Amino acid sequence: MWVKHNKILLSKILLLLVILLVGGLTISGCIRGLQPIGWSGGVVADGTLFLGSIEGRLVAVSTSDGTRQWSDQITTTSSGGFGCAPSSAGVAMYGTPAVAGDLVYIGGYNGKIYAFDSSSLQKRWVYPPEGNLQPIVGGPVVALGKVYFGGSDGKVYALKADTGVKVWESSPAGDKIWSTPVIDDGTVYISSFDKKLYALDATTGKKKWETAEVGGAIATTPLVYNNTVYFGSFDRYLYAVDATDGSLKWKSEVEAGKWFWAKPVIYNNTVYAPSLDGKVYVLDAESGHELIDAIDLGSPVSSSPVLVDGSIIIASEEGKVYSIENNQKRELKNLGEKINAPLGASNGVVYVHTQEDDTLYALNAQTGVELWDISLSSK
Amino acid sequence: MGAAWDTIIFQPVLNSLIALCSILFSNFGLTIIALTIIIRGCMYPLTTRQLRSTKAMQSLQPKLTELRQKYAKDKQRLAKEQMQLYKESGISPAGCLLPMLIQMPIWIALYQSIMMALAVAPEGLLNLSGYLYSWPVVHSMLPLGSKFLWLNLAEPNFFLAILVGVTMWVQQKMVTPATTDPKQRSMSGMMLWMMPLMFTFLSLQFPSGLALYWVTSNVISIVLQYFVTGWGGLVKSTAGKPAGRDKKYKQRIAQIEERPSEYADVGADVVEPSSTQGEGLGYGKSGDERQDRGGGYPTRLREIRRQPRRSKGHRPKRR
Repeated sequence: MWVKHNKILLSKILLLLVILLVGGLTISGCIRGLQPIGWSGGVVADGTLFLGSIEGRLVAVSTSDGTRQWSDQITTTSSGGFGCAPSSAGVAMYGTPAVAGDLVYIGGYNGKIYAFDSSSLQKRWVYPPEGNLQPIVGGPVVALGKVYFGGSDGKVYALKADTGVKVWESSPAGDKIWSTPVIDDGTVYISSFDKKLYALDATTGKKKWETAEVGGAIATTPLVYNNTVYFGSFDRYLYAVDATDGSLKWKSEVEAGKWFWAKPVIYNNTVYAPSLDGKVYVLDAESGHELIDAIDLGSPVSSSPVLVDGSIIIASEEGKVYSIENNQKRELKNLGEKINAPLGASNGVVYVHTQEDDTLYALNAQTGVELWDISLSSK
Repeated sequence: MGAAWDTIIFQPVLNSLIALCSILFSNFGLTIIALTIIIRGCMYPLTTRQLRSTKAMQSLQPKLTELRQKYAKDKQRLAKEQMQLYKESGISPAGCLLPMLIQMPIWIALYQSIMMALAVAPEGLLNLSGYLYSWPVVHSMLPLGSKFLWLNLAEPNFFLAILVGVTMWVQQKMVTPATTDPKQRSMSGMMLWMMPLMFTFLSLQFPSGLALYWVTSNVISIVLQYFVTGWGGLVKSTAGKPAGRDKKYKQRIAQIEERPSEYADVGADVVEPSSTQGEGLGYGKSGDERQDRGGGYPTRLREIRRQPRRSKGHRPKRR
């Protein structure tokens, strides 16, 4: 058979192989997470849930009946990958929005922070007005009349909340910042991929202290509780440092199977830290000792959990939502859709934003009964 | 299939890439170059085999063209004769493709690993964690720094994209045979330009870490190609560059080239390609000096060799 077509056939096969190779490379590039999509969590204020959609819009959802309102689409000027550009040119949004007064703030992967009117969803200001910062992955936080956020340029920014004018910027980190800052008692706590956690003066941006380098990058948003800062790292350990000077209080004895990505929660002096190995580590907040064997959820957890009426509500990547009470897990609901976004909660209701279909679910935190679900797509 | 691919090929390459980065000063650019060299080094026997097979195939082209012209109306006979020619020369057409097919999964795994290790988007980094071994060094290294020289390996780079195109064109040009067959010339010409253009375009879309891999891989290919077959199509004649090592093909092809055209016993019109002289490996010249033992040749061929070579375009007298 080979001989019949000899060289021409060989050339055709080579041509086909090249096409297949290029096609395969392109497709696998798409599949393996080349394109930012976004996983914004939701925040509730005055009966309205605000969150970013995969289309690149800020969406306001009434918590009572699920009616929706969309902002204009935020578009990106950066080029998409060959053959795998998303259908929408909307900016990916990862952080959970922040609400203060009549403004809603949200960061975009295009390196801009936006302030929208909470009623009309009209844009009030954008920072920077011209050009772009490095991608913003963590969410903004509002305190002391300022909006704080970190960027992939390793800088922390403070803007006037009402006008978006820069108050200060600080460059504490030598690598990307993908976490959301935490403001407590006039101090900004923020972690970085450079394996350190930083404390900055919230008024001036001046660095107060930094931790010693841990064994891996830190993507988790820190948890500040009782003068202690808790965070997990890519080295698969949990850490507790003194909020006053950053000195190490403890490093967990147990090593997780994979990274810590989601923000831990604390309840009854117990730290609940989910990991990408699909387990929730339950540690004593004072000593770091493991109180019980890790609770196995069977699928990675990248979505930050919430505390609702004494229950830890947690979602695994495969789409299952659990409640952990008295250190026992209970499956509330299997949504069957990928969950990466941080959970939101208000008045006994948990809000889950699934990444695959850009759908928002409202679940009863006690029973897991689905109250409603809506698509965040404006089309 | 996907799980098997990940376990057997993709994960070992990915984790090796990250671990190697810790040895190479956490420099991902250097790591890409080093791992490409290592992998290409491991595949050296396959690569050289492919190159030699391809070259040997090219050197048979004059004979194949001759057969195609001769048996243009008798496909069955053409197939038979071609098969015979391949058999006599010891060349398997699949020999050109098989080594490439074997290497392709490794190339793809390396490509995927580079893309994933760069973890351009948060989804990529999150996804990456699922493919890591439990080696502490792998976890502590991530995410990898994307700075290399003046480049940001996570973003497309125009200079590297052009370099991809140029190196790929040179490599393609080296393997493109000179041919008188219009169909083949058209196909070769298309391949010569299509691949470099496609990969240049892709390089402009993808992170430049991938372009760095392609450039490194192309340069290695060019070097290997040079040592195995010389500059090939880059220069008009490579008669002066001996192939040297592929004696298996060399001897047999030389013997085939020595023999006169077979139109004598058939009486078909044959235009002998002028490019056969001095083309390819220059076997014809060395073949004149080789002792003819006649071993391994069918009787029919030995008889043909004794016939005087006829001039171009001569129509033999039919009996």
